[in-house]
Amino acid sequence: MKNRMTRYPSACFLLAFFFISCTGKPDSGEDPEVTSRGSIEVTAELQEIPGEFIDRSDYDYAFVMKYKVLEVHRGQLADSEYIYVGHYNPQKPRDAVSDARVDDVGGRLKKFNSGDIHRMALEMPIDDHFMGGIVNRYFDEYSGPVYWAVWTNPVSR
Amino acid sequence: MQKDRVTHFTLILFFLALIFVDAASLFTMQLLQNQTPTIFDVVTQPPSQQNLRRFENDLEDSSWLVQQLRPFVQSVRFSMLNDLGKKAVRGLDGWLFYDLDVRYLTERIDKSDAAEEEVVHSILSFRRRLSERGIQLLLVPAPGKPTIYPEELTRRATGMKAPINPWTRKIISRLESEGIQCIDLFTLFTSQKNDPQASLNPTYLIQDTHWSTHGMILAASSVASRLIDLGWTSRGTTDYIQKSISMSRLGDVLKMSKVPGIESVFKPEIVKAAQILHAADRKPYADDPASDILVLGDSFLRIYERDEPGSAGFVSHLACCLKKPLASIINDGGASTLVRQELYRKPDLLKGKKVVIWEFVERDLRFGTEGWQDIPLPEDPAKL
Repeated sequence: MKNRMTRYPSACFLLAFFFISCTGKPDSGEDPEVTSRGSIEVTAELQEIPGEFIDRSDYDYAFVMKYKVLEVHRGQLADSEYIYVGHYNPQKPRDAVSDARVDDVGGRLKKFNSGDIHRMALEMPIDDHFMGGIVNRYFDEYSGPVYWAVWTNPVSR
Repeated sequence: MQKDRVTHFTLILFFLALIFVDAASLFTMQLLQNQTPTIFDVVTQPPSQQNLRRFENDLEDSSWLVQQLRPFVQSVRFSMLNDLGKKAVRGLDGWLFYDLDVRYLTERIDKSDAAEEEVVHSILSFRRRLSERGIQLLLVPAPGKPTIYPEELTRRATGMKAPINPWTRKIISRLESEGIQCIDLFTLFTSQKNDPQASLNPTYLIQDTHWSTHGMILAASSVASRLIDLGWTSRGTTDYIQKSISMSRLGDVLKMSKVPGIESVFKPEIVKAAQILHAADRKPYADDPASDILVLGDSFLRIYERDEPGSAGFVSHLACCLKKPLASIINDGGASTLVRQELYRKPDLLKGKKVVIWEFVERDLRFGTEGWQDIPLPEDPAKL
């Protein structure tokens, strides 16, 4: 058995993946941070990541992404079906994103993938909460409010 | 011959093992953290150019091995080769330059960069839209540091007579021929540098991408004089005073280099600032959104103004010269497009405006974040 394990490492990793996937508890994204921060709390599905993130490690910015709202836990949304949310420095894991400039953002999400579900604590409008570059590639098609993501946790399906 | 083959195979096996260990450790750690392994992105996302590039970046950023080794490698490269990393370029006599500023001057223009037509069209379109509302536009391209001090980047530039930024000059000439008013800080700063008296006081910070207080005040005075000469505004009645402040500042180029412990190698620069205070109550200068002048720009406006010590940057000094408060939108690194998108979201800021001053750094002509998009103005507040 030991020989086979060393002979087929990729099969072992796949087995480990399925094992951990099956035994892991479904995550609703709820934690004391997301339920208490911001004035709005939603669970929403990330519809798309519009293009590439800005490839400049020296540039701090917010990147706007489109979400389909699945559940509103707290507060009120201006638009009930889709919302546009600005995330600070989206290349970074949420638990490492806060810095001297923006110290009140975070979460457990490690990376953004379209189709994933996130539970988020939000503020609105983004301009009142973030004083930097806002990369909004929906500018031409959408002129409504853009939310500011304060806390972002992953939700398992 | 046999020995060579053994060495080759050993090296091949070593590097293959390195790749395998890195991939396996990343895969296992992501599983243990209840994350979908990054490697699956290559099959779960459509194989578009964007997704593949993002996948490649994600792999690099999330690699545990890379994260552990990077600081060590950066330290070794710095101590052995004086290499400050991808973002910083070490010049002469302690001068540091930002990689993008240098690339702007040295790289051949690529088709994917914001093309000349796009820049010119965007600026002319913005001027037209403002003009329809009776608002004048004054353009303030801020020179990149290596444009003014190329001899601090390389000895080969010492004594150069010809302008080293022909593309910038070509665009400015085109804009001026279309009737756009531009402030020529290139000539102003270069003549300052060549003046034996003034050359002791550089117009740029040694460790930073931005202008010094001296350069910034020259720019603000030049803009104020042009506005008065053009008759676009008149001086107000608010009296301001200046308070000198000396502070130590670690330049942004050093912060960008990300070499561990770099702060202990380079001493912070001693920077002299001049904070603008209201003469009446000695309170620091503050914007007035109802002013007839709106200033748009990037981090060249942010430095000293919103950074330490505050109210000592371009906007405050321009207000001091004009004896009246101004309105401003400062968008770090976003003066090409993002600052106008922000203006679109703030229609009240255009209420009662007679002049818009638009500052952007020279390198943004090619590397501006989100290019040079044509952005409409917000709905006229008077018609709302």
